[in-house]
Amino acid sequence: MERNTRRNFIRKLGATVGAAGVVGGTSILSSCNSVETSSGDKIKLLTSSGELVEVDKSQLTPAEMPNLSENQTRGREGLPGRSWVMVIDLSKCRNARECMKACQNHHQLRPEQHHINVLQMQDAEHTAPYYMPKPCQHCDNPPCTKVCPVNATFKRNDGIVLIDNERCIGCRFCIAACPYSARVFNWFEPRDAEKYKGVTYNIEANVPQKKGTISKCLFSADRLRDGKLPSCVSACPNGVYWFGDRNEDAVTNGTTKETVSFSKLIKDNAAYTLMEELGTKPRVYYLPPKDRAFPFEGELIEHHS
Amino acid sequence: MKTKVNRLMIGILMFLALPGMGQDWQVPADQLNIENPSSYNLENVKKGKDLYLQNCKSCHGDPGKNNHLPLVPPPPDITSEQMQANTDGGLFYKITKGRGGMPQFETTISADDRWRLINFIRNYNSENEQLLIDAPPVNAKILASVNEADKKVEILAEYEDKSGNYQQLENAPVFISAKKAFGNLLLGQALTDKNGRSVFSVPETVIGDEEGNVTIVVTLDENYKADQVVLEEAKVGKPKEVPQLIRKEVLWSTNENVQIWLLLSYLGAAGAAWIAIGYVIFQLVKIKRFSKQ
Repeated sequence: MERNTRRNFIRKLGATVGAAGVVGGTSILSSCNSVETSSGDKIKLLTSSGELVEVDKSQLTPAEMPNLSENQTRGREGLPGRSWVMVIDLSKCRNARECMKACQNHHQLRPEQHHINVLQMQDAEHTAPYYMPKPCQHCDNPPCTKVCPVNATFKRNDGIVLIDNERCIGCRFCIAACPYSARVFNWFEPRDAEKYKGVTYNIEANVPQKKGTISKCLFSADRLRDGKLPSCVSACPNGVYWFGDRNEDAVTNGTTKETVSFSKLIKDNAAYTLMEELGTKPRVYYLPPKDRAFPFEGELIEHHS
Repeated sequence: MKTKVNRLMIGILMFLALPGMGQDWQVPADQLNIENPSSYNLENVKKGKDLYLQNCKSCHGDPGKNNHLPLVPPPPDITSEQMQANTDGGLFYKITKGRGGMPQFETTISADDRWRLINFIRNYNSENEQLLIDAPPVNAKILASVNEADKKVEILAEYEDKSGNYQQLENAPVFISAKKAFGNLLLGQALTDKNGRSVFSVPETVIGDEEGNVTIVVTLDENYKADQVVLEEAKVGKPKEVPQLIRKEVLWSTNENVQIWLLLSYLGAAGAAWIAIGYVIFQLVKIKRFSKQ
């Protein structure tokens, strides 16, 4: 039996360090070998963060493009366990229209097409006017999905109503059925049609848009999958939008990033939904335009959209 | 040639627009020299700070850090010369009425509180005595664990003293939040005792995931520089209810979603019709056979 002397300890330590050195050395050697295989042919690439980088040609592997049918299957399933809701605080809206701009950029919409529109409202003759952003209400009982003859528009289990533009035949029954006028029709070739030719269709963002089909607000379902807030919610400079999961009773403000209890927010502020008498059960809640942070500016323009 | 003209036009327009962008915010003369009726003392400045954090920080950022929102025109830092050059009356008017990107606070903050806010802004004026001393954040560390049986979070907080040793952190507020889809929802706060320890009971109403697991985040306030402690998947919440929103059968515009009763009645009706037609033909054939006989 070996005695635990200092000499023995040092000997063992030496053996361990030596073994580690051999392993380390081989790994360095192997990395040298892999460098030797590079062709020396450099290629310039633009990363997703907008950085220009140079990569050796031999290092390149073809990117896996998402499959169309796979995209559509996961788009139809939705995010498990979620139940998305939006709260719009009418007392904070200043008609900055940043939400509209961000939305149009995200969904490749023409300037006259709106998934979300900021309306000038006056409820009665003597009441105070206010601005009201109006997206699709993502009803829990959506009339639009029931009239679609080809099942192109559908409701997911996380509460989002989507459209499959690959399936849509452009009959516009859903436009007729929607009481909130939330849908737009692509009468012309969509914006940047040439630029996005051949790009795989993404059902969760309705891009690239397709002429002769319907498009509408999708709560930026593709961004939600990445854990980001919808485009309009993130873009608002005035803290108008709250967005979150009703199942976990929490909504987050897009501007201040503050997270509050959804049920408390809508209870304390007497939130309401649009046209609830129709029984559509919208998922967009409005907080009344009380104590407006930004007063209504200019003349009220009469328009109906 | 055309592009040159265009560039020139843009240049002229920008030159004309510049003085407009930097235009001073005119305050009516009668408002300009109103004196602040609320006295400059620690109590008012502290209240002003709370109001600032609640209403102004989201755009103007933290005092002295120049981390305001990138808006046009930029919201000035409250310690800046631009902000401090205003008279008290001028500040009051601007906070009250707002302009462009700056909201009016006439309807949301009472006049007394607006004056308190001005007291807070004046705390950063070099001519004034600083009532709120902003000490640099102290290095600290938090240890936390979850007692799932009692639904309690146990916390131990320590700070680094001048000699670099860690000491128990007394009487410091600790914030406990739950991780949600897009941010942390504050559940409450606890105060550490003289041993730097604190116990926080998780409220009954907290909702976790489908199994009741909650990710708890423990942080100290801004006076301490400490990494937040994230306690993953502690089983202290109510299980999340996930109601099914849709029944596949509701939509039956495609074959895979058809309701079974509908399919059976359709097939039954169509089958009955064919049987009736077959029966009639059979009878006709029978009659013909009889007529031959």
